[in-house]
Amino acid sequence: GESGYAENDFDDAELDDYSFSCYSQLEVDGLQHLLTCMFDDSDINSTNLEFEICGALLDVDCLNFNKLQERYFLKTKKFLLIGDSKICVKLEKKNMTCRKVNIVKIVKPEAPFDVRVVYREGANDFVVTFNTSHLQKKYVKVLIHEVAYRQEKNENNWMRVNLTSTKLTLLQRKLQPNAMYEIKVRSIPYANYFEGFWSEWSPSFHFRTPETNGTGETD
Amino acid sequence: YNFTDCDFKKIKESYRNIIYQELNNYTKGTKAIDFDHFVYCEDQPDCLSKIQSLTFEGRPGCAAPAREAFAVRTHAALAAACPGYRGPQINNTQTMRKIRKRQIKRKECLEQVTYLKELWQRLSRIS
Amino acid sequence: GKTKPGSALQLQVINFNFETVQVTWNSSAYAGINFTFIYKFHTKEEYRPCPDYILQYGYRAGCLLEVQRDGPLYFSIRNGTEPLLTKDLAISTYLKPRSPGALNFQWREEAVTVTCSSLGYNDLQYEIQHKTVFDAEWQSTEAETCNVTIDGLDTEKCYFFRARVKALEFAYGSETYPSDWSEVTYQQRGELRDSCWENSLFPKFILIA
Repeated sequence: GESGYAENDFDDAELDDYSFSCYSQLEVDGLQHLLTCMFDDSDINSTNLEFEICGALLDVDCLNFNKLQERYFLKTKKFLLIGDSKICVKLEKKNMTCRKVNIVKIVKPEAPFDVRVVYREGANDFVVTFNTSHLQKKYVKVLIHEVAYRQEKNENNWMRVNLTSTKLTLLQRKLQPNAMYEIKVRSIPYANYFEGFWSEWSPSFHFRTPETNGTGETD
Repeated sequence: YNFTDCDFKKIKESYRNIIYQELNNYTKGTKAIDFDHFVYCEDQPDCLSKIQSLTFEGRPGCAAPAREAFAVRTHAALAAACPGYRGPQINNTQTMRKIRKRQIKRKECLEQVTYLKELWQRLSRIS
Repeated sequence: GKTKPGSALQLQVINFNFETVQVTWNSSAYAGINFTFIYKFHTKEEYRPCPDYILQYGYRAGCLLEVQRDGPLYFSIRNGTEPLLTKDLAISTYLKPRSPGALNFQWREEAVTVTCSSLGYNDLQYEIQHKTVFDAEWQSTEAETCNVTIDGLDTEKCYFFRARVKALEFAYGSETYPSDWSEVTYQQRGELRDSCWENSLFPKFILIA
């Protein structure tokens, strides 16, 4: 199954310890895209191992990755964004393992940010807003955002809402009065051309609900 | 090449999400109403053959946008969606920067690429 | 779409929902002249005279044409026999879709699905806007069919709804016009209302942090 990142397409029998996962972030720095890969086995000795991508590139046939600790990354404008590429792990110029990858199908959006909650006494509700850098992008513009919120004392009792806009209303009568809440947001591509994985969570926002629960009763 | 057997849905997706952005980038600020003509295409194969012609063949005043980003991507989209399509060989390893300097964006090229945009738009609407 | 100011004839073209096309010209440089507009829809056809001129201060300032389909328009504007402007264009480039007709509402707990009749051609964006008396601005939800679900609503509140249609730029270009907004519709507890203003309280906002 999907391990959160695109996995090897080989049969299990051929899975060797060079298996790796990658994700792409488009227009992450102006027009520059970022492709990040790492070995699935974090204990692997990656000293002389290199990554190379070939195919579906503008002006060039192949590009080499840079390495930072255990991550290999490539920042470029040269992704064609149409068709498949091949990513290979190389040991002294020899291909140890290769995989077919389509850059637009392994997109990991940037995390949303600036989560805010405004309580509207007259309306008995809370307006949740947040921001995403993807609103200004050319390519990955359509995302689904998942808003998760919980009462701070209930460790794992997250309520979740999916939406495509960046504004949500929570009804006061649906929340506990006089309680501390935590709320956070993450995003995933939502267009049939660009696919991929959940972003990281946004920083959390914390808010306290008023004494009454919006129907005049207090708890 | 006969474009009848292409996967038009796949081509529309590549155009809508990728090629369109490049064409828009190239013709930024240019408006269709400022030109006195346009290139019409009747059905999907007709549209693709005219798109190929305007993309990869030079015209008076506009050598050939074949090495522009939208052209390289058009080639990739057709190769991925049309069985057996090879199209004109784009020499991918020529340095684009040198070529782009020579290929100043003349009015003729803007006009040609504006017509190209309208062909793609028409292909979208009928796909 | 409007031609650049300064060109001999400032031209504007509007394609009303592929039903009628309006070509208007502002001939500031040719005051007092009655132009002739001739047109055809196919290269092989003969030019025909404008069936329905638009007059301004008694002079011809435009032509209204019936159209049937998404296709080319070839026309020429003449001063007597002298052609001032000869042009061919894709009428889709200047599309203004019709405003969405009656909106239908299907409530299900805190969500409503708004539907309306499709306009019958592709690559359109149906925009539904909603708000309550507590909201300073409309909030938009968009979809490529006229079947739009809006979540997170409060069945107790009274909501304003309106809709319009836009032509998607990748398929029509950037010189189209959004449709006019539909009539505003009021809904509360899943039912139609005449208005939302009767029992509105004055909204108070508190930023919590």
